[in-house]
Amino acid sequence: MQENIKYLIVGGGVAGTTAAEIIRSVDKDGSIAIVSDELYRLYSRIMLSKPNFFLEKIPFDNVWLKTDDWYKKNNIEFINGKKAVSIDVTNKTITLNDDKTIKYEKLLLAIGSSTRAWEAPGANKKGVFYLRTLDDAKKIIAEVKTAKEAVCVGGGFVSFEMCDMLKMAGIDVTLVLRESHYWEPLLDEPSGRIIEEALKKGGVKIILNSETKEILGGEKVESIVLNNGRTIPCQIIIAGIGVCCQLEQIKSSGIQTNRGILANEYLETNITDIYTAGDCAEFKDVILGESVQLGNWVNAQMQGKIAGGNMTGKKDPFKMVSFYTTQGFGITIAFVGDVRPSADRSIITRGSFEIGSYGRIIIKDGEIIGATLINRTQELWTISKLIEKDFKIAGHETELSNPDCKLQELIK
Amino acid sequence: MKVDNYKLIIFSMDKKVSKIIVDRNLCIGAASCVIAACDVFELDAENKAVIKLKNNIKNSGPAERPNLEGDAVKDADIVAAAQSCPTKAITLIAEDGSNIYP
Repeated sequence: MQENIKYLIVGGGVAGTTAAEIIRSVDKDGSIAIVSDELYRLYSRIMLSKPNFFLEKIPFDNVWLKTDDWYKKNNIEFINGKKAVSIDVTNKTITLNDDKTIKYEKLLLAIGSSTRAWEAPGANKKGVFYLRTLDDAKKIIAEVKTAKEAVCVGGGFVSFEMCDMLKMAGIDVTLVLRESHYWEPLLDEPSGRIIEEALKKGGVKIILNSETKEILGGEKVESIVLNNGRTIPCQIIIAGIGVCCQLEQIKSSGIQTNRGILANEYLETNITDIYTAGDCAEFKDVILGESVQLGNWVNAQMQGKIAGGNMTGKKDPFKMVSFYTTQGFGITIAFVGDVRPSADRSIITRGSFEIGSYGRIIIKDGEIIGATLINRTQELWTISKLIEKDFKIAGHETELSNPDCKLQELIK
Repeated sequence: MKVDNYKLIIFSMDKKVSKIIVDRNLCIGAASCVIAACDVFELDAENKAVIKLKNNIKNSGPAERPNLEGDAVKDADIVAAAQSCPTKAITLIAEDGSNIYP
């Protein structure tokens, strides 16, 4: 049996759902279907790692961003718990894992990213968690109630937030990092040290320069052994070892991929009528002038809007300065724009480890392209405007490096 | 280059925004509201969104529309800010007391 759908969306996260919403606002009658490999309707994935949600300080139902009947009301078919296993770009069909084939006119691939599989021996034991989906979160929420000791492996935003949540739950937390400072090489040493100090003050033990040798226990985790021989007893391990996109089927269908699905600034792939949005999209960023792939909520939401609109016949480029923020242990961390370090970039720092507030402004070809801000989140908006306006830094180096200088003055 | 993706409103509005409320328990400081409507929202020291009111007052509301510091802000920007919130922490109330968003 073959179903015909005008707008087919693979991925039920914020990118895919927002696209469906936009399409419906433009095309009142065209059939829309969302295929999701999760069972759940749209929920706030970003909320999953936040302590208030985890410790059930806010009602669980706040996680839902759409009501159960939203799909029906908007005449959007929600095919949940199904995976798209192949794409035929010539006949314009996709096949699901239940062998159902759907013919599309326009296709959006908003498949997100998945947690990287952890290869450490014993990583399949109960008590080893990844945090990506609502089901992952539910399992951790249940386990947190009885665990006494936890180990977080890897740095990054989620790990930072998980340490905060676990400490608030009264659990003894050890953070194991392969690097010599937190978030190396994305952050420099002073940034990393401010974060580490905050974690330590909050009671988190940090072990640097260490990798997991193996995970011990029976069916359940009992301890983790590091490559230096050190053994840490624990009932929970949270593996924050990064994410990747599952692209095998997409690649073999003829759609161009790199680390993500390649797209131009209109979020169109190399195949006509196939679009991509969200964490899986490696798109031409018109502000940076290069291809980038971003994994954050606002980016996915905005790309869903643009891709959805373009699927209905618009031709809007995606233009946005991306950002992500977090807070915990008495500090705030914000990333804005492109924060990847590379040889063609220089950095102006403002503030220091000593004053407890430290920003890094990343410069390429005389313009600001990104920033990392520790305890300086209030500068996020201004810096995003400077990036957007292609602000030339020449002659302003002193102001940019003075932590007391108000950056708003530069916009005027 | 003008970045105006935030100005995309999903559904047209027939009511005017009269009151804004931020739920501090839900707010995670994602800052999407600040980027969408910087004259109305900013983050406070706890990294929670606050509404900028006249006389340099800043709080989570409820904030009446005429008391906003940036009273010339368009409703479309305020709605875009609320819609962009990943935890639906911003509630917008119309003049007749009904919810505009969420």
